[in-house]
Amino acid sequence: MRRTILKTTLAALTVTTGLVAPAFSQELRMAIWSANEAHLALFNEIADEFEASHPGVTVTYDSLAFEGYVTTLTTQIAGGNPPDLAWLFDTTAPDFMAAGALYPLTDTFATTEGYDIADFPPATLTAWSRDGVQYLYPFSTSPFGVFVNNDMIKAAGAKTPAELIAAGEWTWDNAIATAATVAATGKQGLVVRDFDFKIWENLAEIYAGWGAHPWSEDTKSCAFNSTEMVDAMSFIHDAIFVKKAMPGPGVSADFFAGDAAMTTTQISRASLLPKGDAAFDWDLVPLPSGPVGEYAWVGRAGIGVLANGKNPELAAEFLAFFSSKDNVAKLAQFFPPARQSLLTADVLSAANPLLTKEQIEAVVIRGVATGQSTQQVPNFAQLQQTARAGLDGLWQPQADIVGVLNALCDRLNPLLAAN
Amino acid sequence: MALALDTSQARRKRGFWTMARRDAATGYLFITPQLIGIIIFVLIPLGLVFWYSLHEWNVLAGSFRFTGAANYEKLLSDPALGEVMTVTAVFSAGLALLNMSLALGLALLLNQKLAFMTVFRTLFFSPVVVSLVAWTIVWSFLLQSNGGINGLLQMIGVEGPNWLRNPTTAMISVIVVQALKNVGLNMILFLAALQGVPRELFEAARVDGVPRFKQFYRITLPMISPTILLASIVTIVGALQVFAQIMILTQGGPGFSTTVLVYYLYQQAFQFYLFGYGSTLSIVLLVIVGALTFIQWQLRRKFVFYEN
Amino acid sequence: MKTELSPRAQALAYLTLCVLLIPFVFPTWWMVTSSVKPVSQIFAFPPDIWPRAFDFSSYSDVFKIQPFALQYWNSAYIAGIVTVGTMIVASMAGYAFARIKFPFANAIFMVVLVGLLIPSEVTLVPLFQLFLKWGMINTHWPLILVPIFGAPAVFATFIMRQFFISLPVELEEAARVDGLGRFKIFWTIALPLARPALAAVAIFTFLGSWNLYLEPIVFISSADKFTLPQALTQFTDAYGGPMWNIQLAAATMTAVPVLVVFIVAQKQFVEGLAHTGLKG
Repeated sequence: MRRTILKTTLAALTVTTGLVAPAFSQELRMAIWSANEAHLALFNEIADEFEASHPGVTVTYDSLAFEGYVTTLTTQIAGGNPPDLAWLFDTTAPDFMAAGALYPLTDTFATTEGYDIADFPPATLTAWSRDGVQYLYPFSTSPFGVFVNNDMIKAAGAKTPAELIAAGEWTWDNAIATAATVAATGKQGLVVRDFDFKIWENLAEIYAGWGAHPWSEDTKSCAFNSTEMVDAMSFIHDAIFVKKAMPGPGVSADFFAGDAAMTTTQISRASLLPKGDAAFDWDLVPLPSGPVGEYAWVGRAGIGVLANGKNPELAAEFLAFFSSKDNVAKLAQFFPPARQSLLTADVLSAANPLLTKEQIEAVVIRGVATGQSTQQVPNFAQLQQTARAGLDGLWQPQADIVGVLNALCDRLNPLLAAN
Repeated sequence: MALALDTSQARRKRGFWTMARRDAATGYLFITPQLIGIIIFVLIPLGLVFWYSLHEWNVLAGSFRFTGAANYEKLLSDPALGEVMTVTAVFSAGLALLNMSLALGLALLLNQKLAFMTVFRTLFFSPVVVSLVAWTIVWSFLLQSNGGINGLLQMIGVEGPNWLRNPTTAMISVIVVQALKNVGLNMILFLAALQGVPRELFEAARVDGVPRFKQFYRITLPMISPTILLASIVTIVGALQVFAQIMILTQGGPGFSTTVLVYYLYQQAFQFYLFGYGSTLSIVLLVIVGALTFIQWQLRRKFVFYEN
Repeated sequence: MKTELSPRAQALAYLTLCVLLIPFVFPTWWMVTSSVKPVSQIFAFPPDIWPRAFDFSSYSDVFKIQPFALQYWNSAYIAGIVTVGTMIVASMAGYAFARIKFPFANAIFMVVLVGLLIPSEVTLVPLFQLFLKWGMINTHWPLILVPIFGAPAVFATFIMRQFFISLPVELEEAARVDGLGRFKIFWTIALPLARPALAAVAIFTFLGSWNLYLEPIVFISSADKFTLPQALTQFTDAYGGPMWNIQLAAATMTAVPVLVVFIVAQKQFVEGLAHTGLKG
């Protein structure tokens, strides 16, 4: 009912304003969270090729702000103005799939010539499908590494990660020791990028080394008070408040501006490394090993077609074109691909001239192959906010870690039980 | 003149359209835009909010289901709500108290016949015209633990706290930042009210030997009490609507320590897409505002000295 | 200008005022100076009162990252329309409630006053649905229509009504004897006298619209339709990391023009506000 009224109103509006597009022209709009000029240039190049083979079709990219991206996107959907395609985080994808907001892609991928869906390792697809139907394309499978400012570490007289790796001693304990030595000189030690004591999910790249997870495997109960998580959080707490190896809450420090010795983040941030006067001797190394031994962590993003878009078939066709082997090879410089055939040091180093082959081998290829990633859970927005509020109690020097995590689970369990 | 009189007589003869009737018609015409606006943008939405509050409504899933009082029952069992209400009360009361007393203090100072008072008045008022979001973003920088405020404090040898990361100082921060932004408005209103107090009253009091602070309680306060009352209503209703500052400074944290009702409402409706429960929270906010206004209006009889 | 205070009390008054002034003035000062500092110096500890080096590139970057000029225009034209519209609607309604006798006037006034008590957040959800039905999501219409006709205008009507009540009736009565119609009286006699109240309404309304934050983030989703407060929070790199100096440059450009207008016209500003009828 509501939708009919809306459609009528829209129709009336378009007729009266003369904005009706000719029947043969089609517009596709993809919502993205990057406004990076280099990204957009490449996306537009791909769009141009598609437009050339599809007369009358125009493809545009709508750069929404990263902050509040999901809110904005959902508001557009609720407002009857959904984009045709949208980037989605692996955390938000389950709710979109469950709500029926996405268009199934299995057939399109199967029938597109040369697409070769078998090129994707099954593990890379499962996060983006539901009940055997593919709803999103695994757009970015981005391993986390540690960027290092060797100049700063050497000036502080500490061991660099490269030296620790060579000695087989690249563990979290030693990484924090190096960071603490640098921090004692007045700079910051290790920054977990984008964490800022708010986006706790970004601590996963650390606590995964302890084998810790926020919720149980069936996502029906809270695991913040598991032994692994308590140990991991105690380690992080100690690194922040006792060893001062990580900047405390409310302290702004940017590795890429030369404020800190190390930062854990996705390799795509290599583009933020300073050039010219501000440049320093940097390195990219894998995450240190934790109590579980060596491990890797991967951040994921997918692209889906909105079921309520004006022309989901055409949008799906564009997505298949966007993610063809040729285009994914080009996109690999920013967004590490899930395609097996492209996960070679040659392809990746051509796309990432900033990184050495060794760095690519150690961080990217091994990362994509062995990396764990976020546990998917329904109703993520609410769980995320609840956990954020609960974890705030942890970021005090005298925090009762077990108490805080138990209290957090008391709040999360009723929400999780409803899943 | 004669011509004008003629026409007015001619008009009077027009039968049904007497002066009073034409006047009434004009009156309705004049209020029509506002009245229609209030009906469409206030009264109907209010009715709808109540209607929505009886439903479970998830926009993403497209589900809209009548659930009766379920949302109100959820309200009672919502573990966060008690804290949210306490936070809202502390924030609103703290903000109103700080704003009103600071505004009155500044107005009393600026009411002295001294040089440069216009300059001071302008400067104290200036935050009012600075964009709210710009003002708050700047404060969010200044309140970082390695930010400008602690830098200033260090200059005088004080080690500042981690303002936005500690529940108590975070609450103080959001109150003070908001008070500084808007205190200029009340300051000007009080200043105007103070200047409206007849000087003869003070002169008479001085002749009678009434000390200064007694003059303040006996003359100044009663004379400007109507302004204080109206300003306090506007300030408290305003305090209950503070949203952007919370969003930018603390996002309701740490914990729930600065999650005021409006922010909680926004989270539920627009971040979790629970429009039904968000509507229930709207009704709660409405009841609180209505009750407070009613109480303040009643207090007027007791404390306000005169009214025109 | 003759003071009744002793020199010591004067010195004390000045000292108090100067100390109190710091938190009112320092943020604006810090915003303007930091916007031309290189990023690495913004968080220098303790802060530099005067920039050590000037870097104006942040100002041009503002326009590269967001369609900032367009967003500036959006905010300006919306605030302009809302201000003029509110002045018209509120002065008419305020005049009618104050001066014209018509049945149910008081009852209707009470109904209108409800709008004064409703926090705008309360009706946001149904308003969202309403504008969705009208196909006005992601347009500027909600930001124009609601302030002019909805709850925010009630405060303006209240100010106008209080002012018109305090205006002597004699002038209008003379005009009535001359046979002038209500509308003419309103337009040629009452309204020109109401300048201070209109100034207050204009100031309140303009600032209200210029500062509007929650409504734009709910109703508007594409960058070319953003208003300034909304745009200010969006200066982040591709991954959500803030770009401090650019954000401060944008904030400065948002704040300084209004500040300058205010300082130039501060007398009218303050006198207008003093006339809001809140005097009692």
